[in-house]
Amino acid sequence: MSGTEVAAWRARLPEAFAPPPRRRLWRALVAAAFLAWLGWALAQFGFTPARLWQGLSGLAAILRLMLPPSPGALWGDILRGLAESVAMALLGTVVAALLALPLGFLGARNLVTATLLRFSIRRLFDGFRGIDQLIWALAYVRAVGLGPLAGVLAIATADIAVLAKLYAEAIEAVERRQVEGVAAAGGGWAERLRFGVLPQVLPVMLAQALYFFESNTRAAAILGVVGAGGIGLQIAERIRVRAWDEVAFIILLMIVTVAAIDWLSAWLRQRLIGGRR
Amino acid sequence: MLELRGLTRRFGTVVAVDAVSLAVPAGQMLGIIGRSGAGKSTLLRLVNRLVEPSAGQVLHDGVDVTALHGRALRGWRRDCAMVFQQFNLVQRLDVLTNALLGRLAYQHGLRRARVLLTGGFPAAERARALAMLNRFGLLAVALQRAETLSGGQQQRVALCRALLQAPRLILADEPIASLDPANARLVMQALREANRAEGISVLVNLHHLETARAYCDRIVAMQAGRVVFDGAPSELDAARLRAIYGLTEAELAAEAEAAAARPAMA
Repeated sequence: MSGTEVAAWRARLPEAFAPPPRRRLWRALVAAAFLAWLGWALAQFGFTPARLWQGLSGLAAILRLMLPPSPGALWGDILRGLAESVAMALLGTVVAALLALPLGFLGARNLVTATLLRFSIRRLFDGFRGIDQLIWALAYVRAVGLGPLAGVLAIATADIAVLAKLYAEAIEAVERRQVEGVAAAGGGWAERLRFGVLPQVLPVMLAQALYFFESNTRAAAILGVVGAGGIGLQIAERIRVRAWDEVAFIILLMIVTVAAIDWLSAWLRQRLIGGRR
Repeated sequence: MLELRGLTRRFGTVVAVDAVSLAVPAGQMLGIIGRSGAGKSTLLRLVNRLVEPSAGQVLHDGVDVTALHGRALRGWRRDCAMVFQQFNLVQRLDVLTNALLGRLAYQHGLRRARVLLTGGFPAAERARALAMLNRFGLLAVALQRAETLSGGQQQRVALCRALLQAPRLILADEPIASLDPANARLVMQALREANRAEGISVLVNLHHLETARAYCDRIVAMQAGRVVFDGAPSELDAARLRAIYGLTEAELAAEAEAAAARPAMA
């Protein structure tokens, strides 16, 4: 294609060759502003190559101390802590999922026509979601004392709002025709929910709860650090006395545990949801 | 010349394409007919290696296509453009960029890096694509997303993409099965035009024997992965068809149409 032809096409449809100048200017400004902000923020946090290098060598020193991993003398404590973490995650997730179920129905646009009620419930979810598990754990440790109960409560409280929001969205995505079928057969609102909506959303809800269980197992390790029970306490103690080889051992155990739960929940999801054939 | 030698593809225990041998001279327009599941789609996909053969060879001008990989394979796919029943456009990209995808395999080195990084094609390529879109009456929608177009428009964009590859061969897999009659005619005429004016060989899967008769130089009929007829359109008369499929032409077309409508709804 010759230069004059290209020029002709460019004159005919300039937008096909480059965005209009105003949009280009706007993009350049946004990009420059972002880069400036990024540089400023990095500088504020003392992000210098020297410090990064120092940090890396510190990390390498820790890694050297971790090898070879060793269970240490307190085998029993480690295993008990790990079991406690898994139990905390499971209990917390189950409680959160059960409480989130009715809340999810209340927050669904296609079910709750009272806009004010639905709106306030959704904003309440948003508010709760703004508070992290760790904050809840700190609060519950003061309220109910040290130990796994605080951990379970922290996990449950933090997850209710998130699960309720996800459940509400799943409910809003149900196919209306199936619900209509139940209504046309003479079903009241309870029948429509039970037989029209629930069969559609239950697999989604279970899958989401299982994902939360997985991620809570990881999170439960941290909760112990602030005194809310589980394996985290064991890790924190060993870091304090610089027993890095034992820390490495616990980390390996945690990786194995999380992988096992991952595999188990994938299998469960397959069983629960893949029931089409 | 495109040559298939004993081309076979098994999916588990199913033999989709069973020892097919064909020679397609350069510049021929070949119609492939058959019931759904006869192996027509797999055959075309074997030619451009979207499906790997279980046995057999594809040769083009003496080059063993089945042995190509890496850059040579990309080059071969550029040379044999594919047109799909469901268009296979990238829905969220604009029409112009979809057409420009046909020029992807021509970008090398720095230009390729630039295209990959910024999505920006050189001005000459853009002009070429615009000229092609204009030929198919798509200039007005060039900057719209593909998903905003009707099926007929989308298939025309797909044709632009195919022709911009400057191919030596076009593989069209049921290109008109999802289109209304007017767009179907337009697409078939465009394929015929590419075949006649530019000497591009065309292999087209069709379910209407009537369409194949109207546009093709030669017809191949497939049944259960095998070629059961190969000859001039005039030789495939009602008696011959009945002998092959045990169906009349109308029944065959109706059955294929029902089968073709299924993926369109999904």
